[in-house]
Amino acid sequence: MKKQILIVPSIFFLFIISIFFYLLTIDRNPSEIPSNLINKTVPFFETETLLKNKKFISSNEFGNEIILVNFFATWCKPCREEHKYIIKLSKKNNLRIIGINYKDDPKKSIAWLKNLGNPYSDVPLDKNGRIAIDWGVYGIPETFVINSDGIIEYRHVGPITKKIYEKINLLISTLK
Amino acid sequence: MIPTIGNFALWLSFFFSVFQLIFSRRSKNIKYIGLIVNCLFFSTLISFFLLMYSHVVSDFSIINVVENSHTTKPLLYKIAGVWGNHEGSMLLWILVLALFNYFIFKLINKENLFFILKTLEVQAFIIIGFSLFTIFTSNPFLRILPAQLEGLGFNPILQDPALAIHPPLLYLGYVGFSAVFSMSVATLILNNKQNIFWYNCMKPFVLAAWTFLTIGITLGSVWAYYELGWGGWWFWDPVENASFMPWLIGTALLHSLIIVEKRKSLQAWVLLLAILAFLLSVIGTFLVRSGILTSVHTFALDPSRGIYILVFTALLGGYSLILFGTRSKNFFNNNYFSLFSKEGSILVNNIFMAVVCATVFLGTIYPLIVEAFTNNKISVGEPYYNSTVIPIMIPAFIVMGVGPILNWGKEDKFKFLKKIFPSILFTLSMTVIIFLFYKSYSILGIAGIFLSFWIISNNIFNIIKKNKNYSMGMFVAHLGAGLLILGITGSSVWQDEKIITMKVNSEVKIKNYNIIFDNIEEIKGINYIAIRGNFLVHNDKKKIITKLNPENRFYPITNIFTTEASIHTNLSRDLYIVLGEGNINDGWVVRIYYNPLVIWIWIGSLLIFFGGIISLNINLKKLLK
Repeated sequence: MKKQILIVPSIFFLFIISIFFYLLTIDRNPSEIPSNLINKTVPFFETETLLKNKKFISSNEFGNEIILVNFFATWCKPCREEHKYIIKLSKKNNLRIIGINYKDDPKKSIAWLKNLGNPYSDVPLDKNGRIAIDWGVYGIPETFVINSDGIIEYRHVGPITKKIYEKINLLISTLK
Repeated sequence: MIPTIGNFALWLSFFFSVFQLIFSRRSKNIKYIGLIVNCLFFSTLISFFLLMYSHVVSDFSIINVVENSHTTKPLLYKIAGVWGNHEGSMLLWILVLALFNYFIFKLINKENLFFILKTLEVQAFIIIGFSLFTIFTSNPFLRILPAQLEGLGFNPILQDPALAIHPPLLYLGYVGFSAVFSMSVATLILNNKQNIFWYNCMKPFVLAAWTFLTIGITLGSVWAYYELGWGGWWFWDPVENASFMPWLIGTALLHSLIIVEKRKSLQAWVLLLAILAFLLSVIGTFLVRSGILTSVHTFALDPSRGIYILVFTALLGGYSLILFGTRSKNFFNNNYFSLFSKEGSILVNNIFMAVVCATVFLGTIYPLIVEAFTNNKISVGEPYYNSTVIPIMIPAFIVMGVGPILNWGKEDKFKFLKKIFPSILFTLSMTVIIFLFYKSYSILGIAGIFLSFWIISNNIFNIIKKNKNYSMGMFVAHLGAGLLILGITGSSVWQDEKIITMKVNSEVKIKNYNIIFDNIEEIKGINYIAIRGNFLVHNDKKKIITKLNPENRFYPITNIFTTEASIHTNLSRDLYIVLGEGNINDGWVVRIYYNPLVIWIWIGSLLIFFGGIISLNINLKKLLK
């Protein structure tokens, strides 16, 4: 029996380890989950809004300009952390941002937006989570970029970090 | 004050492990080393209990307690909260490492002195690695100033008795393999010049680790079944795979050790399995803790932690496997045996186990490999595992059925046929009976039932004949495996599922049962509020069998909704109801599962666990005699 074969496990092991090492050091986001909705039109929904006394009908709103859709809730800690980036995004690009308020108490949401600032043009309410299901939302917070044809260009699961903020900025400037 | 002492004790553990490394290398004075081993264990124990104490009294000056606890949490979950998070669970890792370290030392005697000292040296190196990791990247005693008034709470989905004890048992399994690993590396380093029976020392550790891993995985599965409300008990989640792989290798190791003991063959193979079992445990920890892949268990997304564990894994694995590659040729011998014998059957099953493990490993890391080379994201799910693992398991189970009744050395073909004749008859008749009862034409179902009774009947006929070759532990464990296969087959092949919207007073039929939605009410628990549905279950004779009360809970502290499935169990099936979303006008979404034979999964796994305990007991008695 050739004894060289005994060294195979170590070679295989080092191969696996180097893949892990590579993946850990490159800039990657394991929670970036490919969405079936990318390059498709936004799912239709119709619901009440938080601050305005009117119905939000998605087909009337999307398709005219670039819009950022952000699913958020007051009970979600990471939403609070990403909020400053949402505000920055709305100011810097003069971007329209729709914040879908997921399974939340409207009173708390109003207070929350008063405290932290309101970057949203509209806040449609998703009281029972139905809209989130249609959008294939994986976890709160989640953010979508929709182009001026009403097509979903980008999706991010989890809070917006500095890196993601820059990525979204870049994407918006290319879309314009 | 308490956290400072806890932190100090953790540092002491680190220093004692450094002393252990130095002393077991330089000095041969057993007294000193024994003292160090004891001190190491006690300082870690103190550190662990001080963290537990801080959780119990809700010391909100500690970040770890703030982030994972709350004053309203029941005491059991305050205690379980210690290991319900990354930092605390790392401390538990070190505690278990120190515990096995202590047991390794207990084996020391004049004959195996060098071997045990070398093992302690390797074990000390592992403890140093993990304690440095914990102290610098995951210190559970970090303070927060000013102290908080209240904690952030605990993920309510983890509030479950099975899950409270699942991690410690699982860690006893994972970390137990550290001792096996250390012994294997020590054997390779020493080239076994003293001709020590290293495999006798290794066996109780393999048995202990494997047994605890078995029960740990079972409890995790029980939790998934009762708490997640998805109607199933195994999802091929990366973390489940991370525990399943060392278990498979552990199973192979356990059985091939029997051959080494009996014939001195396969030593190199056993040394390799011993290394792999622990490496897979550590890689599993890495996969879960580094955030390199997402799973329901993902602890924390911190790349610095990932890099540290990875570097440490690379050191352990690189060193041990290269050592294996260069030294293991000294452990080959020419004690060949016939394939048609007990040794032969064990070897064949060893290969099957290794192949299944490789398959699961490939499935788990394949998405990562694809991403590294092509930047595409793919996911590997149940279809892959079902279509690869099951075909390998079927021949493995056939061999498993006959293994225990085969002779050592060589088996006579004619005598063998005579031996298996009654069990073939019994197996066929049981398969036909069950087939007629369920009237299912699933080939997989029939195969599963056949294999299950094949293993069970061979075992039982073997014990009736008072075959000299059987051990009680093996009998119980193999019987358990047979029942486990029965349960897995029933619950996966004949499961029935209904998802419907139900209003109060409406009814639905599943199999022979009529389920009536009686009413819905609001209830208040210790730290949650819930709506609870009351369902009446009638059988086909219109008699009420049971009431099922699934709940939809809301935990205000963490703002999390959970579902509590309600399950009625008997020996032939589970009725499993989950209450979904809804309101009084439109009705509620209700998921109802008819899960045949699930109870046999738990009974089977428990028997495997007890089989392990019995064998462990016998082996320890033999070793310490």
